[in-house]
This record gives sequence, C-alpha cells and structure tokens, in this order.
Amino acid sequence: MTVAGVRWLVLLILVGLVAAACGDPPAAPVSDDLDGGQDGGSVDVAGSDAPVEGGVGGTVRIGYAGSPDSLNPGNGVLEEAYFIYEMTYDTLITLDLNGAYQPELATGWEVSDDGRTWTVELVDDATFSDGEPVTADDVKFTLELYRDTEDFPFLSTYPDVFTDIEVVDDHTLQITTEDPIGNFESRLVFAYILPEHVWSEVDDTVEFENAEMIGSGPFTLADYRQGEFVNLAAREDHWDEAPKVDEVIFQTIENADARVQALANGDIDLITEFPKTAVATLERNEDVKVVAGDPVSPELRDIIFNQIDPADCPEDAKCTGHPALRDLAVRQALSKAVDKQQIIDVALLGYGTPGLTLTPVGLGPWFADDVQGYAFDLDAANQQLDDAGYVDGDGDGVRECLPEQDCKDLTFRFNFANDIDSAPREVELISGWWKQIGVATKVQGLDPDTLTSVCCPGYDHDVFLWGWVSDPDPGYLLSAALTEEIGTGFSETGYSNPAYDELFAQQAVETDPARREEMVHDLQRMLVEDAVLVVPYYQETVQAYRTDTFTGWRDSEPRLALADPTSLQVVRPVE
Amino acid sequence: MTVVVVISFNFVLFRVLPGDPAKSGMRDPRLDEASIAALQQRFGLDKPLFVNAADPTDTQFVAYWRELLRGNLGTSYEFRNTSVASLVGRALANTVWLLAGAQVLSILFGMAMGLLAAWRRGTRIDVATLLFALLMWSLPTFFLGILLLFVGSNWFGLPTGGRFTIGATYATWGEYLLDVGRHLLLPSLTFTLALLAQYMLVMRSTVIEVLSEDYILTAKATGLSTTAIVTRHALRNAMLPMATLIALNLGFTVSGAIEVETVFSLPGIGLLTVNAVNSRDYPVLQGAFLLLAVSVVLANLVADVVYGWLDPRVGDA
Repeated sequence: MTVAGVRWLVLLILVGLVAAACGDPPAAPVSDDLDGGQDGGSVDVAGSDAPVEGGVGGTVRIGYAGSPDSLNPGNGVLEEAYFIYEMTYDTLITLDLNGAYQPELATGWEVSDDGRTWTVELVDDATFSDGEPVTADDVKFTLELYRDTEDFPFLSTYPDVFTDIEVVDDHTLQITTEDPIGNFESRLVFAYILPEHVWSEVDDTVEFENAEMIGSGPFTLADYRQGEFVNLAAREDHWDEAPKVDEVIFQTIENADARVQALANGDIDLITEFPKTAVATLERNEDVKVVAGDPVSPELRDIIFNQIDPADCPEDAKCTGHPALRDLAVRQALSKAVDKQQIIDVALLGYGTPGLTLTPVGLGPWFADDVQGYAFDLDAANQQLDDAGYVDGDGDGVRECLPEQDCKDLTFRFNFANDIDSAPREVELISGWWKQIGVATKVQGLDPDTLTSVCCPGYDHDVFLWGWVSDPDPGYLLSAALTEEIGTGFSETGYSNPAYDELFAQQAVETDPARREEMVHDLQRMLVEDAVLVVPYYQETVQAYRTDTFTGWRDSEPRLALADPTSLQVVRPVE
Repeated sequence: MTVVVVISFNFVLFRVLPGDPAKSGMRDPRLDEASIAALQQRFGLDKPLFVNAADPTDTQFVAYWRELLRGNLGTSYEFRNTSVASLVGRALANTVWLLAGAQVLSILFGMAMGLLAAWRRGTRIDVATLLFALLMWSLPTFFLGILLLFVGSNWFGLPTGGRFTIGATYATWGEYLLDVGRHLLLPSLTFTLALLAQYMLVMRSTVIEVLSEDYILTAKATGLSTTAIVTRHALRNAMLPMATLIALNLGFTVSGAIEVETVFSLPGIGLLTVNAVNSRDYPVLQGAFLLLAVSVVLANLVADVVYGWLDPRVGDA
C-alpha cells in the first residue's frame, strides 16, 4: 500500500468517526415546551446544573444501575421499570413513607357486610397526559386487562381474586371477590391505571411497546434511550400536585464507582444504590448527604435448608438433599451458629437489622416481634448436636451422620447467588462458625438462573444463601413455605406442615386486621420453631444526594425512597 | 458456509446453559405457573428443540432459521417489547461510536511508535516506548478506565460517562460536537492505550526484520534519505502483516469492549452480550453472535484481498 493509500484510509476512517458522532442528534430541548419564559436550569454543556432562582424549575438527575426492561407496565419486571411507572402513572391506592395505605386515584373504599364486594370512589378531576379524564371505565378496563393477561408476570397475580368488576358511575366502581380477602389494598398498589381509549385500540397488549406512556402521573415521558436514560418532564396540569422541578432524568451508570464519582462531581444529583464502602468517601464531601433507612420494599437475606421429605419429591425433581437436614436438631443447631449482627457489621458495614423469618421488620405490625429467634450460641449448638447423637468418630473435625441416615458425615453443599456482592463474605463467615460445631461446607457460587435450575423445583442442593424482596403484604413471602408450592419451585425448602397450610388458608380470607395479624405472627412462629430457614438480616437502603442543587428531599421519614414521586414531586432547586 | 455452521452451533451452545429464560430475572412470589407457561409459549420454548415426531417443521430450530431467512431476528426475551434488531443495532452504533476513533488512534500511534522503536532499536527511545506499550498492555483495561475516570473527572472536569449531556440544549452544532468530544475523550483514550501495544509490538518486530534485509542496505548505500528509506521501503513491506492484524481487529470490534463500556456507561455490544448471557436472552445472543460471525468472516475476506493487493508476489497462482 502506498503512503497516499494510507492517507486516504485514515481520512476515510476519520470521516466515518465524525459521521458516527453526528449521527445521533440529541432530543429536542424540553424546557422550551414547558414553562415559556423561564430558561436556564436545564441547559448544561459544562457538566453540573446551575441552580435557578425562584425555587422552581431545574432538572434532577438520578443515577441508577440498570434500565427499564419495558415501558409497558404489564411486562416490566426490573426495579428500574417500576421507578418510571411510579412517575408516569397513578394507582388507586398508594403506600406512604410510613408504610400505611393512602388514597391516590381512589378517595375511599368500603367493603360490604359479607366482605366480598368493595365499593371504590374515584377522584373526579384526574386526567391523563393527553387530556382525557380518568374514569371508572379506565379502572375496570385496567384491572381486567391485568387479571386476564397471563403473559404479564407480576401484575396478573394481584387482581386474580377479583371475579367481577362493575362500573356504577363515572367515578364509582364495585369489585367483587369470591371469598373475603384481607389484603385488598396491597393488591391495588401496583395496578397502574391505564387509559382505556389508548389500550383498547391495541392489537396485542403484550407486544404493545407503550412508547408514549400516557398515564395520569405527575410526570410524562419526554425522551427514552434503552440502556442509557429516561427523560421525564413534569406535568403542570397534574390533578394532585404539580412537581416543582421541570425535568427528572434517570441516567444509567452501571459501574458503581463511576456512579459514586458522578455524584461526587456534581454530574448527577442523587444515587439510590451504591457500595457501602463508598459511604466514607461521600460523607467527606461537603456537598453530599448520605442517608440510610428502611426501603419501601423490604429486602431480606436467607439461608435455605433443603428438608424435603422424599415422599413429597415432585416428579422430575432430583431431591438429593442431605438427610441430616431433615433432622430438626441439626437445623436448630445450625441456626444457633449464625451471628447475625456480625454478618451485618462485616458484610453490610452495619446497614441492616437482624432477621427473624420471612416477614421483614419493615412490614410494621405484620412482623412477629413476639417471637424469639435463635440467639448466637456455639456452645448450645454443639451441645444440641452432641445430644442428638452426631459425634466426630474419626477425629477429622466433622461430625458423622447417624447410623440410620443414608450419609457419611455433616458435609453440606453450600451455594449462593453470585449476583449478591456481599454473599462470598457472608458464606465465608457462616462456614467458619459451622466449622466450629463440626459441620463442613463445600461452597460454590452460581448465577441466579443456574441456581434456580438446581434448586427449584429440582431440590438438588443442601444449603444455599439467597434472598427476597418483600411485597407490602406478608402473604406472598409466607406462601413459600406451603406444601402446594413444592412442585412450583417457589418452595425452596420443601417444608411441609399441614398446620401451617391450614393457618395460611385461614389468614388469606380473614378480614379483621387484628385477627389476621395474630395468624401471621403464628405462621412466623411455626417457621422459627421448625428452624425452616435462617434469616440473617433485613437490608437497609443507603442513598446519597447533593445538597447544593435541590432541597426538600424526604429523608427523615420511617421509609427511605428518594427516587419516588413522594420526594421528586416536592423537591425544588436550592436558591 | 462458515456463518451457517457458526449460527447452528451457537443455537445449541446457548441452550446448553442451565436455566429457563421464561423465569429468568423474575424470581418473585408473584410469578405464578400460568404466567411461566404463557411466557414459554410466547417464546416458543414449549416446542421441541430439534426433533418433532408429529410435525418435523414445528421445532425451535426450524422456527429460528425460518425467521432468520426472512430477516427477522426476533424479540428479546428480557426486553419483551424491543426487537433484537433494534437492540443490536443501537448497541452496535454505540460500539462503533466508541471504538472507531480509538481504533484509528491506536493504529496510527501504534504504528508510529513501532516504527520509531525499530528504527532506533537498542536506544533509550526504543526501551522507553517498549516499556510504555507493555505497561499499557498489562494494566487491566477496567482498572485503567477507572483510573482515567477519577483523574479526568476530578482534575479536568471531564464527564463521568454517557455519550452526551442528557437533556441539554445546544445553541450550535459546535457546542454539540464539543460536548460529544468531551464525553468521548476518556473512553477513547482508555481503549487506545489498551490497544496500541499490540500494533506497536507487531510493527516494531516486522520493521526490525525488514530493516535487516539486503535491499535496505543497498538503499542506504545509494544515498537515499532516512525518510525515503522508511516510507518507501520499510513501511510498505512492514504493512503486510499489519494489514492483516488491522483487518482482523476491526472485525472483532463488533464484539465490543465490555470493560470500557461498563466504566463509562456506553452501552455497546459487549455489555449487551454479557447481560444477555446472564438473563438467558437467546435471541439477543444469537443476534449478537451472528453479527460477530459475519463481521469476522468479512474481515478475513478483506484481509485476504488487501494482502493480495499489497504484495504483488501473492498472485492468483
């Protein structure tokens, strides 16, 4: 190739580079469309937002780790998708930062004497972002759509007990259930109300992209680039409360260090998820405030024991669980050999609460504060195993199995989901304590899908470390211990207790909150007494925001959720 | 033919991974069996993989090829409202945006440094450039990226990621290009530094070999200037292996640069592929690997042609 040829090649590539850079012009500026007159605040070539005088306007930038998987509320599965739905849609009932159910599109709701028919009153001035009013027809359409579309993974489950939905008038409707239910409100908290006039025209509501996201929420979708950002514009005509800022931008910054750096720099104003190790760095920054608190959707960590009875083994399952785990004494001893506070201090740097069982402390009165868990006591654990007959015959430090059990010694396979950052450290700590009571572990991390294929409902495991995010209602997570969930794969333990199944069925139709609470506490008591699983902790959420750009963040409430309309509707620029 | 084999092999390969796409990422008590069944049906996963006694054409394998030949790459399992084509296309655009400049710079700088080091072989310049290149090559790209990110954003006020300032309004094209340039600077620099070592080292060794040839000695003896010797003789001959290397590297560009993409929030093909593996998103994986297979095969073809053009000795014999 000649030198001239090389020059041409270079020129060609440079032209290509410029073309690629030019190929994607940015979205039309949003501020021009909205507040006519006011500018500044969202023009930003240099990096950080200049605060606007007057305490109104501005663009809040939030950095998060992922990106919505779908703009169609029926299909959305990821947490990031739900951030966006909360901003652009309303629901009938919402959960406030105290954990209490509050009216949103519904002004009130009442149940009939037989407990099966609910009458719901709607606000009369709510409108969708295209100007159309929100009526009972929209609510009926939405609930029926969610209920009847099985392809919607989560939203199809909430209304599944609503047998009949009738429109009484434009702002009143009646919902009927077959049996009375104790969790009516929690079923409506995520039922984002869709405009019937848009969705009824759609051919396939599952394939429907919903690119415009016409909803009645306080923000509208201004621009969206999958995997990069979601740009939301404030709705001045929102029926409840118009946001004080002009725009909210959710920016995808996958790498945690880059996200922390972006906040420290002022490129973004809020982060809701970052490694606890960065807390110290951020606290040294004068313009950043770090806050910790209970999340709105509480999260728990659990250690699952495979205790399935071979008789209950589902058809295609392997059921290779270690026989000793079916012994209550062994499970109780293992439970006594977990120092929950130590795990919280080491793995979470203190940001957590010691756990009890499948109902997190964040669910308020549902949490069984009257049930005692197992205190950390290695001596008691050792004693219990001695008494049960597990001795270390060959002196290798691991207790042998009982003669009638089909196993050699207490060596358990210990898996964990490798998308949990703190898991390796936690498993290391737990294995260390168990070693001191004569139990050995073979540790292996697996990615979530592989772990699912191994455990549920294959039951081809002994012990694993995973976790759950809890729904506002305790029923969902507690159903994991039902016998009927063994075949579905949702029961990870294989626990089967007819008394538990019966009590669960009772609480599902109990309408008196006090009685239901007692039953829910009793269910938790059973799980603890039978040492079904160990819950080391309930996580706290740690979030951080810049103090020099926006003010009014609701960070001193019982629950912390700064990327939610509860904060984003009220924050305003610093003056 | 290669592409056909690769695609078929990939089809099997992805399905060997344990895990059910219909449940992936949806581990939640609210996911009931009816929903899982509905999703499996929608994805076509309820059909047999290769062999269907009842109807031989109603298998997943046949369905895949049928759609592929129609130009339909399918819909993502994870982003169930986005087509694979648009996901891969968008990711590819981002990757090209990031890597085009970096590839050019690393080629140019790599070649220049290699040439310089070879010409001044044994001197301090040679040692210095060699050390620099090896250092850059041995530093993990991820670490280099984070390092440059901290230095760049703290000391030089450069942005921490993205392609441009989201939601910004620009008065002129110049402002837009400036914003894009500022965002492109650190990621390109990272990738260039990581990549130039291989060009530099290959160039250096090739040029050293060429410089030891007799005709170079003749050229010096006939009084040709250094520049003339370098450009007209050494460079032209050293370009042969370089051209192949460049063509192949450009072919692999399409597999993305996962570390740089993650650190600087530039979602390209690398990130798309890794996420798709984690969520068992077969259609996206198949689409991305199809792209890669075609790209590498094409690059190979181009390399053959360019080599033949460059070197008159490689004829049609």
